Amino acid sequence: MRREISIFFVMIFFMLLPSAPALSEDAKISSEAILNHVDDLFRGNSSYATMTMKVVTRHYTREITLEGWTRGKDYSLIRVLSPLKEKGTATLKAGNNIWNYLPKVKRVIKIPSSMMGGSWMGSHFTNDDLIKESRMADDYEHSITFDGTREGVEMIDLELIPKPEAAVVWGKVVVSVRKKDLVPVKIDYYGERLDLERTMVFIDIREMGGRLLPSVLRINPADKPQEYTQIIYKEIAFDIELADSFFSLRTLQSGTTP
Amino acid sequence: MNMFKIAWRNLWRNPRRTGITLTAMVLSTVVLIVTYALMRGMIIDMEHSVTDITIGQAQIHHIDYRKERSLYDIIDNPNRIIAYAQDNGIGVSPRSFGYGLLSSGTKSAGVQFWGITPEMERTVSKLNENLFKGDFLLDEPGMHVVLGRKLARTLNAGPGSELIAVVQAADGSLGNEIVYVKGILKGIGETLDRSMAIIHRKDFESLFVLYEGYHEMAFNSWGSMTPEEVASAIETVSAGNEVKTWRSLMPGVSDMLNTFDGATIIFLAIFFLAAALGVLNTLLMATYERIPEFGLLKAIGTSPLRIIRDIAAEALVLGVFSSLIGGVIGIALAVYFHHNPIDLSAFAEGFNTAGIVMNAQWRAVLTIKGVAYPVMVMWVVSVLAALYPAFKAARLDPVRALTHV
Repeated sequence: MRREISIFFVMIFFMLLPSAPALSEDAKISSEAILNHVDDLFRGNSSYATMTMKVVTRHYTREITLEGWTRGKDYSLIRVLSPLKEKGTATLKAGNNIWNYLPKVKRVIKIPSSMMGGSWMGSHFTNDDLIKESRMADDYEHSITFDGTREGVEMIDLELIPKPEAAVVWGKVVVSVRKKDLVPVKIDYYGERLDLERTMVFIDIREMGGRLLPSVLRINPADKPQEYTQIIYKEIAFDIELADSFFSLRTLQSGTTP
Repeated sequence: MNMFKIAWRNLWRNPRRTGITLTAMVLSTVVLIVTYALMRGMIIDMEHSVTDITIGQAQIHHIDYRKERSLYDIIDNPNRIIAYAQDNGIGVSPRSFGYGLLSSGTKSAGVQFWGITPEMERTVSKLNENLFKGDFLLDEPGMHVVLGRKLARTLNAGPGSELIAVVQAADGSLGNEIVYVKGILKGIGETLDRSMAIIHRKDFESLFVLYEGYHEMAFNSWGSMTPEEVASAIETVSAGNEVKTWRSLMPGVSDMLNTFDGATIIFLAIFFLAAALGVLNTLLMATYERIPEFGLLKAIGTSPLRIIRDIAAEALVLGVFSSLIGGVIGIALAVYFHHNPIDLSAFAEGFNTAGIVMNAQWRAVLTIKGVAYPVMVMWVVSVLAALYPAFKAARLDPVRALTHV
């Protein structure tokens, strides 16, 4: 009897199955495509970029220029070019680990997990932001919540709710992209209690390194509206030659370039 | 006067009986005085172990500091407050705090840096005496650090070790310095043991790029004023800052001490009662034994009032005499235990309960109350204990009193 019932359910299940995705296939595929596009925008097999980071807080304003290399999602190395006082300070990310090189004391230190939530270089980014490898399309349930014209531009909004097993810190993420080229304009990050925690805006979209990219990225903590961290890309190149050995503690310490 | 002379003479007509009573009373007085002093000593030691290690009797902070512990919430008008405290004989130590990372090769830990001026810190706390290994900071800056005990274990560091300090400096840059471990503190409480890294004020300034301002000032009068008095004195010059006594900074510990204080009073009351009953019993027996004697006095025409008066006088003389001896011995013992504290280190090397570090040396503390209460109790008990049989004797028929056994 029990077996019959379960077989019955399985049969119904298979009957329903093909029709269910079919209903929303277009939306599903395109929202996934949008998220993958946003995720891969600044990534490539490898990349090199120079940028200025401006941090404005209630207590200080600072501007540093940086150069950085990335390879896949696992490796990146960022080095401070100016100001002079911090020149040579570098961060290496390999997998889930972060090391900092401190030229003043000529030492490398590994950032312990207890400090991952701490600010990176005094900015509004945390060390965690650097190492997170989440792919939005994999870690969140996503759906399109807006598809139309806003302020004269055709826009698409996607709402992302984390999957139960995903290791992400946000309670909800809302991504807004331009419909014509899927370039992101704004991402809102909400906390566990679904209150807005920070907003990332993308400004000055133009062609860089052969791609259409926002050249300015600004992050605003919601509870401190007058504060922000802004990154302006000055130069970016994708799919450059980088040896495996480049992302090593030795490179971090020696300050060599590829 | 004559009455007391007669009483004195009467007492020594039976030296053995008087001797026994006297011994009982002297012993009780001594025990009470010493117990009282030891209990007092324990409570005072507990309070001091809280206030004298780091907290002080009172503290001030910027009004928002304790909520957010932000590097930028510094105390208003610090120099005026420091000058005022010093003029009034209150020890003051300005401190700066900042969070960061200490790292030694593969091991690293998040720490709270304490930027202190050693010569001022000495006027408030005994941090410099609480060392497990090595030495305290020198009066001159030198990138030395003194670590909490568990922190040192985490970093696997000892005196002489070289560590790297990395902090988020006040200007947003990544402050970093090599620091050398100078000493390791004894256990002074779970949180501090795990997180405390003490550096010289001047080293703190360059590490955190924070050249002025303090996050905390601790005050200690070392017992010459109560914490409340210290707080209200400081309050007069601390407009805009938050002034708190150690009791309101650590309400849990304060409540625990109050409870302990209450328990001590009950304990002492039971002790007093037991001693009083012992003396009462001895005196009662001694007086009962003399009932035939009182019968004789009555038979030769002594008035009942006179009998009661004489017995009361004897009891009072005995009480005063024994409390004098007991008082002297008790005070001597209490003073001895004050200077030669009872050593509990055989049982434990300092106790640590809920942030209170108990000294392994149990010191007695003698107070006026601690002598007055036992002495007064002896006087009252001795007179009361004698009066009841005296009344009985005075009202007795002389013939029956004479044959009373």
